[in-house]
Amino acid sequence: MKTMRAVWAIFLKDVRSEVRTRYAVNALLMFVVTTLAVIMFSLAGEVMSPSAQAGILWVVMFFAAMSGLSRSFVSEEERGTTFTLQLCSGPLGVYFGKLLFNVVLVILLNIVIVVLYLLTMDQFVINQPGLFWLVIFLGSLGLAASTTIIAAIIARASSKGTLFPVLSFPILLPLLMAGIDATKLAVEDNVWDAVWPDLQILGAYIVVVVTASYMLFDYVWKD
Amino acid sequence: MKSTSSWWKYLLFVWIAVWSAVGIVLPIAGNLADLAYLKQVNAPGEIQIKVDIDHNLPAEFDPEEGMFVFQGTDGGGRKATFYVPSKPEGFDQARSLLVEARYDEDRHGVRVCQVVDVDPGLTLPYIPGLGERARIIFFHVPMAWMTVIAFLVSMWYGIAYLRKHDLEDDMKSANAAGLGLLFCLLATITGSIWAKFNWGSFWNWDPRETSIFVLLLIYGAFFALRSAIEVEEKRARLSAVYTILAFVTVPFFIFIMPRILPGLHPGSADDTSGGPVMSSGGLNAVMRVILYSLLAGFIVLFAWLMNVRNRVSRLLVRTGIEA
Repeated sequence: MKTMRAVWAIFLKDVRSEVRTRYAVNALLMFVVTTLAVIMFSLAGEVMSPSAQAGILWVVMFFAAMSGLSRSFVSEEERGTTFTLQLCSGPLGVYFGKLLFNVVLVILLNIVIVVLYLLTMDQFVINQPGLFWLVIFLGSLGLAASTTIIAAIIARASSKGTLFPVLSFPILLPLLMAGIDATKLAVEDNVWDAVWPDLQILGAYIVVVVTASYMLFDYVWKD
Repeated sequence: MKSTSSWWKYLLFVWIAVWSAVGIVLPIAGNLADLAYLKQVNAPGEIQIKVDIDHNLPAEFDPEEGMFVFQGTDGGGRKATFYVPSKPEGFDQARSLLVEARYDEDRHGVRVCQVVDVDPGLTLPYIPGLGERARIIFFHVPMAWMTVIAFLVSMWYGIAYLRKHDLEDDMKSANAAGLGLLFCLLATITGSIWAKFNWGSFWNWDPRETSIFVLLLIYGAFFALRSAIEVEEKRARLSAVYTILAFVTVPFFIFIMPRILPGLHPGSADDTSGGPVMSSGGLNAVMRVILYSLLAGFIVLFAWLMNVRNRVSRLLVRTGIEA
């Protein structure tokens, strides 16, 4: 119960600090808009296949996550509030509080990305909306799960900005491959059966990464 | 000063050299079923086959054909008539011949183009579509195994560090990862060159190629992380956490994805031969013995290299060159 309260308190603290700095709104939104603009320019009216569109959607989602999610721990380190947090709460509360915040942030971010993507790409039609949103939801969970622990690691290292994608990409690749494949299938009007193996991989990935992070976070967090 | 005996190192080098030589030198020989298969798919060219001469049946020069004709059986017990321009040297004493042959439509027999060897002894099987290129299995597969084994050892010492906080374990973890990176590069390069000649391009994003690429990235990320942290204890702890985290996600690639997705490597979802080469019955006994012997040799080589690297690291720490 105490841990649950700590998780909620840390989540609320991060939301409050987010609302005050508006980092996500300003930086991430601009990042997404810029990336989409670059894609539009480079396409120059070219019509893409659904699989290519699904791939590019994941490129935007991956890099948006890479640019924003490391902040959860890096900002604590930059503001020198790590020790305060260590005093106020146990490692589990911190990990799950940060994870919850990152999950909410990524889900909102990905919803914005998909909506903007739908508005800007005329040919992008989702044939299986339920399946598509389920894949995006599971993908967001996986992105948040693995980037939270990586962010905790790189917050302790120098050259934080460049290390984050370097460390995250190999860990994220199973998720990206299954996610891209499932998104492609959902866009192309496939039935559940075709997407089921990918959904299983996504689910298993989330469970594995969260469990491993839960067991390892203590070593990362305490000096 | 403690002196270490070195006889087993010489033995190791001889072991690896001999088995490598055996893997390279042993001739590849198919059988009559392979010839029938090549005819069926209209593949051009001849292959080497090993044939046991049947001395009970007549073997003589046929003036009408202008050919020396003899009867023979292959390893699988299939019988055929063989046509060769002239009587091979040592034919009367020989029990078997290694010949370069193709199926002869007109005579419904096997046309021998060239006698390569008399009484060849052990041979490697002919694999349709691979031929001589099948020999890569003796070097590429042990390299790929060593990549994963080194990664496992690195994670093992990472866990040991997190339990006991002994910097010696961290050093071993880093040294194993360094060797793993070396084996990973070797597996990638040998596989890539081979793929150019067998599959047409250096890189095809086959699921197993993706898996070795991810391992390469993980090794790279591991060293990037280590170089970014100054404090030893922190570096040891964070890199140990990263190896464990990478190890729990990597099975998706090495053990699951290559099997459930269609691909070019043996053991892919659309492969009918069943399972990766190692676990299927597709590998014959001679190939198996050479492959396992080389694998064992490379594992011992890895252990020895680990030992040397650990001793060097210890000396560097003791002399204060490296903290």
